[in-house]
Formats: sequence, C-alpha cells, structure tokens
Amino acid sequence: MPSVQLLLNAMRTAKQGVQVNVGKESDEYKEIVTTLSIHSKDMEALGVSDGDSVRVESEFGEAEFRCQQAKVPEGMIFVPYGPPTCKLMGGNTDGTGMPTSKGWMVNVEPIEN
Amino acid sequence: MQKSRFLPRGRKDRTMVLVDIRETKSVKAADIFLQVRPGKDFELLTILRAMIKDQPISDAEVAETGVSIEALQDLVARMKAAKFGAMFFGMGLSMTRGKHMNSAALLTLAAEMNAFTKFVAMPMRGHGNVTGADVIMRWQTGYPFGISFNRGYPRYNPGEFSTVDVLVRGDTDCVFVIGADPGATMPQPAIDHLARVPTIVLDPHVTHTSRLAKVHITTAPAGISAPGTAYRMDEIPLPLRPALKSSYPTDEEVTRRIKEAIQAKPDWMVEGPQRLETQV
Repeated sequence: MPSVQLLLNAMRTAKQGVQVNVGKESDEYKEIVTTLSIHSKDMEALGVSDGDSVRVESEFGEAEFRCQQAKVPEGMIFVPYGPPTCKLMGGNTDGTGMPTSKGWMVNVEPIEN
Repeated sequence: MQKSRFLPRGRKDRTMVLVDIRETKSVKAADIFLQVRPGKDFELLTILRAMIKDQPISDAEVAETGVSIEALQDLVARMKAAKFGAMFFGMGLSMTRGKHMNSAALLTLAAEMNAFTKFVAMPMRGHGNVTGADVIMRWQTGYPFGISFNRGYPRYNPGEFSTVDVLVRGDTDCVFVIGADPGATMPQPAIDHLARVPTIVLDPHVTHTSRLAKVHITTAPAGISAPGTAYRMDEIPLPLRPALKSSYPTDEEVTRRIKEAIQAKPDWMVEGPQRLETQV
C-alpha cells in the first residue's frame, strides 16, 4: 500500500466557525473536521479518489480523514482543527505555551475499504 | 469600505497584501498575493527588516523564502510610501516552527517601520471573545495569559503556566473550564489529563470537554441570553444586551455561587511559613 509523506497544516474555516456555535455533535461539524484538502497529484500517488479515506500518522498519533481534491499546493494537506487533529498533536510547546499544530510532516496512507 | 478625508476613494486608496503558503479565499480580496514557502516566515520577515534599512541581502536567502526579490522590493516601496500600514497575523506564524520568534520578528518589523511611516500590527484571534480574555487579564494582572496565582500574586511565564503545559505536565488536580472547549482543540496529552482529573465545565452546549468532565453546568449563552461585554479584535469593548431570556444561570452567577460555597467551607490551610495572607 503506498504511503506518502506530506506537510500537514491544520487551519480554521468560516464554515467550521459557524458549526462550532451550532453544535459539535452535528454531522456537518464531524464531516468538516474529518475532511482534508489535498492536491490531485498527491491523491494519484496515494491511489485514492475523492471521498476515499486515508490514515494520517504523526509522531504522536494517528487519525482518519476523508480526502477532498482541492486547489492546494502539491505536497501539503489542509484540515480544519477538531478532535481528529488533536490526536496528531504533541504536548510539547517548546517553552512558548503554544503547541505545534501546523506545518509538520505526516505519513499518509490509504485505508482499504 | 469606509471613505475618509485622507482616503476619499475608500478601498481603491488602500492596498491589501496577502502572504500565505497557499491561495486562500482571501486572495480574491487582496491586491497582491505573495506565496511564502512553509516554515519560512521568519526568514521572510528578517529579509524585509534588512531591506527597509537598505542592508545587504543575498539572492540565496531571498530564494529560500519562495518570494521573488522584485516582489519584495515592490512590497517595501509600498510599505514605506503608505500613510498608515497595518499588519494582521495569525496562527500561521504562532503555531509553526519558530512560534513566538516569528511573531516577534513581525512585531519588530512593525516597530521599525515607524521610522518611516505609521505602522501597527494586530494578532488575528480565533473564535469567540479571545481578545476579551486577553484584555481583562491584562488590566487585572498586567499579563494577558499564562498566569499563575499560586503564590497569591500573578506571575507570568508562557511555557510554564500556560494551559497546555500545565495540563501536559499533569500539575493540576482539578480543572475549571468556562466558555472553552479544550477537549476539541488541545493536543491529546492535554486532553488525557482533563479526563484523569475532576474537570468542571460551564458551557451553553454539551461539548467534547463536557464528555470528559465530571461536572457539566449548562449556562445561558453570553450575548444572546446573558448580558456581558465582548471585545472586538481591535480591543474595542462592545456591551451586549440579551435579546432572549434563558432559564439557565449565567457563567458569572454560577462562578459566584461556587466561590461563595468555597468560602463557606472551613479553612483547610495549615498554619506555617508557607501560608500567605492573600491565599485565605
């Protein structure tokens, strides 16, 4: 099974901001925070298509996301902050109080259905 | 956009430059877009600091940032020619490698730009009244966050007293959460500690933190059915009058009642040198 190293950037979106206030139990919120935006060439390398699931593994943990092809730079994936991204974050703040939650290399592999 | 005496054509008299690692939706609103390489913010800001003072920079250093020298020269010229410049920065700087050093580089650039024209920098905070929390803590204690009161007076040290660090180290044996959902935003080791100790949550909704907590108290949503003051991102206080009535108590009322209940309890501290008057 192909596994690819990509740069993960967790981020905020306006839709996610709205759903935070609507309720985090909603299916819409869950869908937003489990969907990652990825470049078409990276999807090819992984052998996945729109809507397929992938496992993202960081130094600290792993989480599952659904792929969505988007206009993002090659080699990078973007996903809104939420419970799945928490699992990937480490507790070290480098003495700043701020955990690293953007711009780190992760291992991505497709999940066979 | 507002038309003013000095900028009579409104938006047309203003220039918006967007710097990001990818084309976001904000690109449509921007006049100029500079695509910086991930993790190269500090380098880009340092080059800009050198350029505004006509210090030498090498081509290799510029190439590393992913932005062309022509684009940077144009940006510096525009910044110097501006009557009033404002820089907005967010988590792209503070949560990537370099963290506070990236923010410090940007703030230094803003300070140094004031040798040429008026310039300010403003952090873009997340959802909710984050600015309000910063502002209130600042005027009450002198510090915006990462404060410890355990000696009876406020001490500030991000990395030691900041929430994530305190939770990850497991320093606390109880956690009180108001109007936040660390269970859905913090790193997993911090969330694990929330589940280990008695966590009390005050929130209008049942949140991810509520699921880990020993106690969840539903409160009236502030600004909708509870009065209060929200701070705009530029630190302008906005008094909010509740539009609806709620059967739930406000965060303030619950907190006050908890405080009164604690005060009514017998004093548990032993007599001795470690006792501070302010802790009573």
